[in-house]
Amino acid sequence: MEITRKEENSVAILSVKGRLDLASGASLKDEVKALMEKEQIMIHLNLAEVDFINSSGLGVLVSIMKDIRLHKGRLTLSDLASYVQEIFEITQLSHIFEIFTSENEAVASYQTVSAS
Amino acid sequence: MSNVIERIGELLEKLQSPDFYNREEAVNELGSFQEDEAVAGLVMALEDNDLGIREIAAENLVKIKGDTASQLLIKFLGSEDIGSRNLASEILVKIGDDAVEALINELENDDHDIRKFVVDIVGLIKSKKSAPYVSGKLQDSNINVVCSAAEALGEIGDAASIKSLIQAYDNNEDIRLQVVEALGKIGGEEAIGYLYEYLNTDDPMILYAGIDAVGIVGNKDSVKHLLKHLESTDVSIAEAAMSAIVNISIENKGAIEQDLPLDKFSSYLFDGIKNKNKKLTEFTLARLKHWYGQDILNSLLEVLHYVDEEDLKSIVTMLGDIGTSASGAIIKQFPKANSELKIIYLNILKQYVDGSIAQQLLVFKNDTDPEVRRNIAFVLGVSGDPSMIDPLKVMTQDKVGHVRAAAYSALGWFCDESDMQFLFEGLNDKYTDVRDAAMGALILLGPQEVVAQFFEDLHHAETERQRIAANALGLIGDPSVVKPLFQALNHPESSIRKSAIDSLAKIRDIENIDPLMLALNDEKSSVRKSACTAIVSIKGQAIIPEIRFLLDDQDIWVRYHMINIIGNSGNADYGEFIQIFIDGNEDILKLAAIKSLTQLGCKDAISEISKLQNDKNQDIVSAAKDALDNLQDA
Repeated sequence: MEITRKEENSVAILSVKGRLDLASGASLKDEVKALMEKEQIMIHLNLAEVDFINSSGLGVLVSIMKDIRLHKGRLTLSDLASYVQEIFEITQLSHIFEIFTSENEAVASYQTVSAS
Repeated sequence: MSNVIERIGELLEKLQSPDFYNREEAVNELGSFQEDEAVAGLVMALEDNDLGIREIAAENLVKIKGDTASQLLIKFLGSEDIGSRNLASEILVKIGDDAVEALINELENDDHDIRKFVVDIVGLIKSKKSAPYVSGKLQDSNINVVCSAAEALGEIGDAASIKSLIQAYDNNEDIRLQVVEALGKIGGEEAIGYLYEYLNTDDPMILYAGIDAVGIVGNKDSVKHLLKHLESTDVSIAEAAMSAIVNISIENKGAIEQDLPLDKFSSYLFDGIKNKNKKLTEFTLARLKHWYGQDILNSLLEVLHYVDEEDLKSIVTMLGDIGTSASGAIIKQFPKANSELKIIYLNILKQYVDGSIAQQLLVFKNDTDPEVRRNIAFVLGVSGDPSMIDPLKVMTQDKVGHVRAAAYSALGWFCDESDMQFLFEGLNDKYTDVRDAAMGALILLGPQEVVAQFFEDLHHAETERQRIAANALGLIGDPSVVKPLFQALNHPESSIRKSAIDSLAKIRDIENIDPLMLALNDEKSSVRKSACTAIVSIKGQAIIPEIRFLLDDQDIWVRYHMINIIGNSGNADYGEFIQIFIDGNEDILKLAAIKSLTQLGCKDAISEISKLQNDKNQDIVSAAKDALDNLQDA
């Protein structure tokens, strides 16, 4: 799995590519942890290029979400491929995560909230 | 010309006809002439008994405009018939600037009613050239004309009238209200200066109008002139001052420096949100960042279902920042709220729920509305607090399926393998959404025991449990599920074999695909097709030569599927495997082959495809032509 990182309007954007399972999920968790240590608690995950996610990968996302909530931060997801979307629907994880159709929409949502 | 006059004469005669259609034809045609006689006819038609005729005449007069029309219409202003008078006024306003000169001439009419109507019309036309004449009417002998003149000057909005208006204010008590309102419409530094003076009046009516006017034309500097009125004991004056400050604040993007006694106006401001007053809503929500207190929080919570989605989002964020005291207030308000509001509350709580909030919410888990119970289940789940597992288990027994489903999903987010058997029970629910929710929860659990139990379920007495097991194993996606799924390829039920293959295709990361290769010989074509897709998905297009024997499959749809897979492979070398179908007997395979060969860019196939241009099946002819165009361009 590859993770690329960028920042836009104070939101850290991690684009994840490949399979999201237990092993690769650990790298993602480390990456998020490193961001939170730098007090970056507004994090967006672009999952457009995640072509596979299993139960362990989902577990990692839930765990990341819990950590960010604990730090009073915000986590958003976007661009879920149809397979990933299917598994989110089955597990109803959409009730826990803020999911957007596109990265732009997600990043804009941070601006709307902070501007108001 | 004489013909025209003659024709107009005929039409005027027709206008007297008792027949509606004759009069309608006449009034329509008269509109095409500019001659005074035609205009007079149209004006006459304004008194027709039929509304339709009157309306056509009015439209035509507006189009023609001109002095004659205006002068004739002005005559109607003295009519006893209110309908005709109003219609004439309406037309004159629509004629606009072209009617102003004729109207000004009537400002000295002996009839004060006509003078008043003329002033009203000129005001509505808003013609600046009429302003000095209208100003003169502030000295009219009739008070109604004077009041109308002040109002009209406000409508015209010419700053040159301010002096006359101020004189009128000083000289005539009866028109002060109209003068203040007019200054509020004219605006500008000079008008605002006088308005500030009038804010010192003892007359509440004038004061109210002055505050309102300052709110319309005022600026940031005006706020200090309004502040003392916020303290007024007269509620309508105080609220008018608040409303004026709100207007100024909105116009200046909230840049008001003064501290405002907002607590005093909380009912007024929150009622504004309830009444969907955009300005009051925007102002109130913007001030909330600096406006704390339990009462405010409670008022805010009562109006959440009146705000739009965008505002709701920002409120939710604000409440999240407030934290525990907000959740306490929400929970206190909860029993009083209706279902719609309860669901909004739950969505807010979901943002920052913890064990303590979840605990307090438990008392509402038997709410009469199932949608509320469903949302409570989700919030309890989001809390992630282990003490919520038992209450959620109780909710999985709810009489409504959606609530049971939500409870199972919520359990999946944080329960552990000790709850596995409990979740498996959910797979026996009578409703699919509840069974799927239980399966989702088990997928999230994902330990070896779950895989083992699902493997056993592949041979469960109930076919539905077998289906769920095959599906769930694929979604768990762990390497440990590959073996059970391979074993499921020998399942007696073809739908289970197919589900197992589809699940393997999703996992993809599989070394040894021998069992899938065997599935290419499955007795069921649907299984063979799935196996073919899965193998290519796992091994990539390089495997195609090894499975090309499916092009000879007894089932036409397997052959069709294989042709499409080759087309999608992107490897032109495989084109030769499917060229043979162009000469075949089955049209559906010919079409698939044409499409796939085109996708692969196989120029070798051009001569074979060319022959199909004379095929008896027009679909094939058309596909062949398109293919040749594409291949020749490639």
